[in-house]
Amino acid sequence: MDPLRPQAFAQKRRMFFLILFTILLGTALILQAYFLVKIVDEAFLQAASFEELTPLFAGLAAAFFLRVLLNVGSGRLGTSMAQHVKKTYHKQLLSHFAKQSRLQADKGQTGEKASLLLDAGDELDPYFHDYIPKLLQAGIIPVLLLLAVFSQNLYSGLILLITAPFIPIAMAVVGTKTKKKSDEKLKELSAFSGRFLDTLQGLLTLKVYGRAHEQTALIRSSSLNFSHATMDVLKVAFLSTLILELISMLGMGILAIEVGLRLAIFDQLSFFTAFFVLILAPEFYNALKNYGTAFHTSRTSLAAAEKIEEELAGNEQGPSWGARALSSQDMPPALTFRNAGLSLNEEEPLLKHINAEIAPKSNVAVVGRSGAGKSLLLDLAAGLVEPTAGELLVNEQPLSDYSESDWFQHISYLSQHPVLFSGTIAANIALGATAEASRAQIEEAAEQAGLFPLVEELEDGLDTVIGEGGRGLSGGEKQRIALARVFLKRPAIILFDEPTVGLDVRTERLLQTAITNLSREATLITAAHRLHTINQADQILVLKNGELEATGSHEELKQTSSEYRQLVHHQKGGA
Amino acid sequence: MQDLITVTKILLRERKDVWLSIVFGSLAGLAAVGLFASSGYLISEAALTPPLYTLTLMIVLIEVFGVSRAGTRYVERLVSHRATFKMLANVRTYFYERLVPKAATLTSSHRSGELLARVVGDVETLQHFFLRVLYPPLVMAAVFICTLLFSAYFSPWIALILVAGLLVSGFVLPGLFALSKQREAARLREIRGQLGAETTEYLSGFRDLKIHQQLEKKEAQVLERSYDYMEKQAKETKRRIFQDGVQALAANLVTWLVVLSGAYLVITGDLHGVYLAMLVMISIMVFETAVPMATFANYSEESWHAASRLFSVAGNDAGESSPAAEKVTEPFKKAPAISAEQVAYTFAAEPRPAIRDVSVQLPAGSKTAVVGPSGSGKSVLLHVLAGVYPAEQGKVDYDDIPLAAIAEDARWASMNMVLQANHFFYGTIRDNLRIANEKASPEEMLQALRNVQLEHMSLSAEVQEKGANLSGGEKQRLALARTFLKKAPLWLLDEPFSSLDSWTTRQLKTELFTKAAGGTLLLVSHSLTGLEEMDQILVMEAGKVVEAGHYDALIAKKGYFYELKAIEDEIVL
Repeated sequence: MDPLRPQAFAQKRRMFFLILFTILLGTALILQAYFLVKIVDEAFLQAASFEELTPLFAGLAAAFFLRVLLNVGSGRLGTSMAQHVKKTYHKQLLSHFAKQSRLQADKGQTGEKASLLLDAGDELDPYFHDYIPKLLQAGIIPVLLLLAVFSQNLYSGLILLITAPFIPIAMAVVGTKTKKKSDEKLKELSAFSGRFLDTLQGLLTLKVYGRAHEQTALIRSSSLNFSHATMDVLKVAFLSTLILELISMLGMGILAIEVGLRLAIFDQLSFFTAFFVLILAPEFYNALKNYGTAFHTSRTSLAAAEKIEEELAGNEQGPSWGARALSSQDMPPALTFRNAGLSLNEEEPLLKHINAEIAPKSNVAVVGRSGAGKSLLLDLAAGLVEPTAGELLVNEQPLSDYSESDWFQHISYLSQHPVLFSGTIAANIALGATAEASRAQIEEAAEQAGLFPLVEELEDGLDTVIGEGGRGLSGGEKQRIALARVFLKRPAIILFDEPTVGLDVRTERLLQTAITNLSREATLITAAHRLHTINQADQILVLKNGELEATGSHEELKQTSSEYRQLVHHQKGGA
Repeated sequence: MQDLITVTKILLRERKDVWLSIVFGSLAGLAAVGLFASSGYLISEAALTPPLYTLTLMIVLIEVFGVSRAGTRYVERLVSHRATFKMLANVRTYFYERLVPKAATLTSSHRSGELLARVVGDVETLQHFFLRVLYPPLVMAAVFICTLLFSAYFSPWIALILVAGLLVSGFVLPGLFALSKQREAARLREIRGQLGAETTEYLSGFRDLKIHQQLEKKEAQVLERSYDYMEKQAKETKRRIFQDGVQALAANLVTWLVVLSGAYLVITGDLHGVYLAMLVMISIMVFETAVPMATFANYSEESWHAASRLFSVAGNDAGESSPAAEKVTEPFKKAPAISAEQVAYTFAAEPRPAIRDVSVQLPAGSKTAVVGPSGSGKSVLLHVLAGVYPAEQGKVDYDDIPLAAIAEDARWASMNMVLQANHFFYGTIRDNLRIANEKASPEEMLQALRNVQLEHMSLSAEVQEKGANLSGGEKQRLALARTFLKKAPLWLLDEPFSSLDSWTTRQLKTELFTKAAGGTLLLVSHSLTGLEEMDQILVMEAGKVVEAGHYDALIAKKGYFYELKAIEDEIVL
């Protein structure tokens, strides 16, 4: 139900101090009331001299001070608790994302994930520094105050005892009734601001069609309509507060009358007792009411925590690795897919029954319609995901037996949409280096990848800082930076997702010669889209709906595979 | 500051509700003080064996104060929230109106999604401005002034202490805290931004980081940054808690001083003892109205930040720029000739221009295609010709009239535009088609749907926000259907077929050329097939037009276009 409470109570030392602070806080409240009342009593009725009161003033000051100190202390303890929980969550989330990242990255959820990570941090705080202390206070302080009141005056104690339960009862009754309704409203509210966002995003379209200004009235009227609906819900919420206030106000009123009458008419009480009770009563009700408010704020934190828990609940397993070394002599290795398959969350497998032998330094083309599983097969071959069925053998041994770092030292992956990191161009190229790369090596790689015209155009050359995702660079330039990484690495296995559209002629040519040169000493596995590439391949894997439909050379497949014939002789048509 | 003043002005349009909120808020505060004061007085009186009617009167007073406290609080909440909602509607429409002229830059920048989401969020943040920033000090001041006048009657000294207390805990401390919060919050936001960027990079760059064995390093980096952020955040929270403590201490100090001086005055005989408990109770309660001021620092900083961000997007200048004297205000009836000379455009914060030295001529009624690799500036050229992006250099003319001399509305009315991202609104297909032509009959709309091969679609079918329930191809076809309904003589189409299969593309292209027969047409296309019928093809690379001419001429030339075409022909799947 509440994923955060156990995490608070698990921090035993902090929790101990929080409880201690709360008990002390209750004591400080009682002391404060005692000194206050004593001073007034002494000055008003006992005709004490000012000097006699001095210790009482000191005591009152101390009680005031202690009270503030304890409140601040509790808040700080709560904040430290929150920080501890947030750190744990961040760590878990990051490693969780890393495990599932490969399969989810293409689904464009990175923004959502990043905001989960950040918002979690922002929204968990109030639960610990506000709600938990208030929860403890609501449990402990009224009891202490009741004891104090009972020790002085039985009837006042009874009045408090009888009226107190009405507060939680009212909160519970109104709370459950409004909660559902207000939750619905909150959802509508976000949907509503979503609609405002919708209009803003369509502003250019609206403008082109000359409709921008008539939307103003629409925004206004829908805004107001929405507020009417919300006000209805709020009214109920305010009504609940009204009831709470009435209960506590009436409780205090009754108490005042009780002590007033018994003091004046029946002469059963001293002024001290009456005033003491009167001062403690609001503190008593406040402790209960504050819990209600804190409870409300805790909902936001809980919602955030539930989102995180939900995300973490999806069990993701990254590939496993062993300790077997891979030396350069073993490279490029022979790769064998033995009945390999891949499925996600027990859904229909994305890849199944893949059987293929890839000889060292061979040139393999993977073909298939979009969604047939080409890039997943490349990911499997790269060791980015582990087969969930069957296995991938590297030099006759399962890939999972080898050391992860040894393996990746020999892999390069050239995708259609290369990822660039914010930093200098040189740093982006250096990412490809297996050891620390010298400036000369980086420059050489840049030259081989045809980056010089770009570099010369830029004032800072290779040290030009590029923004997130390589903003401001053309598709071809990004591709060339990624290519420079490969030149720096000189891998034994190259995975290449062949570009389909949008590169300039120069980059196209560069890419072709570069891939040919690089693949002389390496195994090349291409997700192929071009006739030329397919013709050049030693072996072609034809994928259809996640299964290997056929393998062979171009000439063989033309004879044996109908899917291949359809794919390759597919008429493009004069679009 | 100027920004918040403008926001306040918008808020004050709901004058009645504002006044009611303040009145009831003050009444609620006073009732609470009254309740405390009268109960303090009651027991003091009671201790002195007073006449019974005094007691009865006090008891009635206590009950009246108690009930009216709860009642006025309820009304206050209702009125102030109603006011807030109305203000939110006003703020929303205000900013919407200001954003309309900036539509192009808003929706076309790299981070437009983020920017617009921020605008919506900031508008929402401003709803706290009235409830938590503007209004608590006013209520507090009203309650304090009444209380002060009341206590001054009994003891000017105690009233003086309360004044000092009000100034310190109600104004000086919140003001100081708001200033420090402003500094800290800016720093915290900066770290948050960096953390967000690094996290996104970590997630989207996963594959490359993994293969290059940098994943763990990056993860450690992100984690370190996130811990740093959390440290700072915790420090900030702790500081806020400390500030709350300081404020509480100040209020307590005032009560202490009231007790001290009250007792002294009673002992010296300057104050009747029966009022002492009452004054003490007043001083305890009156600072309760200062409690909302504790959040003042937080919310005032947030509002200030939200307002300044909003105005930095929307601009806070007094009025719209006045239209130039001689403007063409009538839309073009006949297809215009368009010419651009030496135009350039650079996106904000980018080192290189997106297009430069581009000169093109589109004769009236001609058909032109723009092709080239991604990032070569095709789409930017279209936006510059449409006047969506202002040309930095050179000039764009429609029928020899400078673009600036054509009224914006007339320009839009002359144009059939299909963008790369066409927007669809929450509503029905009919609603989304109607924006193109209000007078279009259902038959015409259905005909337009048939023309774009969407005859299976019903006019009353629902469209979700941003057309989320439509496929990319459906959106492109609907966008085209809109232009068919609008019937303007200038066609500017930015990759209108990119999500369609080749068969549908061919059909729609035929339909398009029938409809646009007499019009001037510019078609940005990533595909090089089917361009034979165009009057001219502009080939762009790196922001420049590198080749121009008819298809046959370009092929015969064996230049850049020829090579691009050869590459495209190689692609089989």
